[in-house]
Amino acid sequence: MSIAEAEASQLAVEQPSGLWSDAWRRVRRNPAAWVGAGLLLFFVICAVFAPVIAPYGPQESVGSLAAVPPGPSAEYPFGLDEQGRDVLSRIIYGARLSLLVGVVSVAIGLSLGMVLGAISGYFGGRVDGVIMRFMDLMLSIPGFLLAIGLVTLLGRGLFQIMFAIGITTVPIFARLLRGSILAQREADYVLAARSVGTPGLRLLTVHILPNSIAPVIVQATLAMATAIIDVAGLSFLGLGPNDPGLPEWGKFLAENASRLQNSAHLVFFPGFAVVFSVLAFNLIGDALREAIDPKLRA
Amino acid sequence: MLRYVAKRLLLLVPVLIGLSILVFAYVRALPGGPAIALLGERATQESVEAINRELGLDQPIFVQYLRYAGNLIQGDFGSSVLSRRPVVEELLERFPATVELGFAAILFAVLAGIPLGFVAAKRYQGVLDNTSLVASLIGISFPVFFLALIMKYIFAVRLGWLPSIGRLDITRSLEHPTNFYVLDAIIAGDGAAFVDVVAHLLMPAIALGTIPLAIIARITRAATLDVLSEDYVRTARAKGLTTAVIDRRHILKNSLLPVVTVIGLQTGLLLTGAILTETVFAWPGVGTWMLNAINNRDYAVLQGGIVFFAFLVVVVNLLVDISYAFLNPRIRYQ
Repeated sequence: MSIAEAEASQLAVEQPSGLWSDAWRRVRRNPAAWVGAGLLLFFVICAVFAPVIAPYGPQESVGSLAAVPPGPSAEYPFGLDEQGRDVLSRIIYGARLSLLVGVVSVAIGLSLGMVLGAISGYFGGRVDGVIMRFMDLMLSIPGFLLAIGLVTLLGRGLFQIMFAIGITTVPIFARLLRGSILAQREADYVLAARSVGTPGLRLLTVHILPNSIAPVIVQATLAMATAIIDVAGLSFLGLGPNDPGLPEWGKFLAENASRLQNSAHLVFFPGFAVVFSVLAFNLIGDALREAIDPKLRA
Repeated sequence: MLRYVAKRLLLLVPVLIGLSILVFAYVRALPGGPAIALLGERATQESVEAINRELGLDQPIFVQYLRYAGNLIQGDFGSSVLSRRPVVEELLERFPATVELGFAAILFAVLAGIPLGFVAAKRYQGVLDNTSLVASLIGISFPVFFLALIMKYIFAVRLGWLPSIGRLDITRSLEHPTNFYVLDAIIAGDGAAFVDVVAHLLMPAIALGTIPLAIIARITRAATLDVLSEDYVRTARAKGLTTAVIDRRHILKNSLLPVVTVIGLQTGLLLTGAILTETVFAWPGVGTWMLNAINNRDYAVLQGGIVFFAFLVVVVNLLVDISYAFLNPRIRYQ
């Protein structure tokens, strides 16, 4: 065996570790990621199996109408609301809405933002200039204000709200992906692919995108947290989903904000449901960022 | 430097034009209109037309825009349909309330956040570091209005320590030359009013400042960790400088650059957070003003308010960029 062959066989023993397997290993070692994933799993189970887990239906009146509804008791652990509905059951059903809002609005923002960012970063030049100036314009309007504006314009349907929140994230995703693509565009492996005649679209989707997507994924996780907070905020301002029966947490909280003095449980339970679901996404996003960002590696 | 500032200011022009068109188009596209908001749903066709004529809403859309843009350049934002007062006048009254609140919030965030982040970095992976990391993550997970409600419940409803709404006790009279109530109380030399104003400011400012506090602490920590391993820190230590001097002159000063950026980026967050915080504490600022304008289709207020908000965000970002050069002499703008 020649020296070169010996070296080659030794090298082969050490598995080359890619960006993703490296990142995955670091995420697994991070206790915060586990807590976040556990919380998220808990909410997903609540959302999927709501009819099985919840003791009552979200609209079911189990008590009587009351100006000062009864607080937590052994029978109703989270108490009842003013219409005699079980708060615990409403919160369990509410998990469906919050997760839906988080996922759908981010999916809308992500898909629009990624298309714009990819076009901008890949083609550059005047197209890039026009798209990015427009993104700057959107960024100069604070996101939540933009969401308020869009909901006022489009109406208070659940989809319109998700769309409005999604739109506010478009410039963030577009800029992020553009920057990431610009960093990859001149890399040697892209030049190599180009020199063997890989067509443009394939170059973008197969070679550049997979290597530029990491920061976008991190941002998407964190954006879900923001989306849940934003929909709660819109509800609080009276711009939440207009279907009165929806057990949306922010709406639930907002409708009872004036009952804070005598029925604090109607504010605190939905409020903490929002906090913990947001925390789940923040913990996961944070762990992903630490795993992917080379600067944060110890 | 001057040339850079001039160039940036010039670049503001297309942004502002684009913004004014966007906002103008948006406000016209809103369902309903000022006539309906004023007269109610059952208004007659004639009275709606009369009001539209009076407000110039019967003109072609581009004529309306040109007139609006022309007035804007002269600093005329039009008049509120509801109060019939000039938008600028109302803005000057409302704006100080929001600035006072925002400034107090940022002050709280900076005064608590920078030392916290700095100490956490110095005790990297210690108990304090880990605790503050977890606490800051929990902090940014709280919707600002929920935090505001919790504080209101504990400190106003349960303990009765702090007032829960407004900027000043309604029984108290105070001259308002500046509309910054803290300044007004100082100018009037009224100690009791000053205490009252600060008591009213405390809860809203802390509620609004908590998320920026968490973010500033995290960024300070990361920036300090970066600087800690720099050669010049080791050199300073080797020279025998005291820890206090190294901390202050070599580490803290150099780690402040990203912190300044983040403080600048908080402006937008602070303004929107103010809308929610002002609602909880019935704070008569820009946030509650614009929310009213949305509900009443008050075109002029809405247009003026959004353009003004955006202008503020853009200007603060410019100031942040300029402040880099002062904090880091290596950065020189051409």
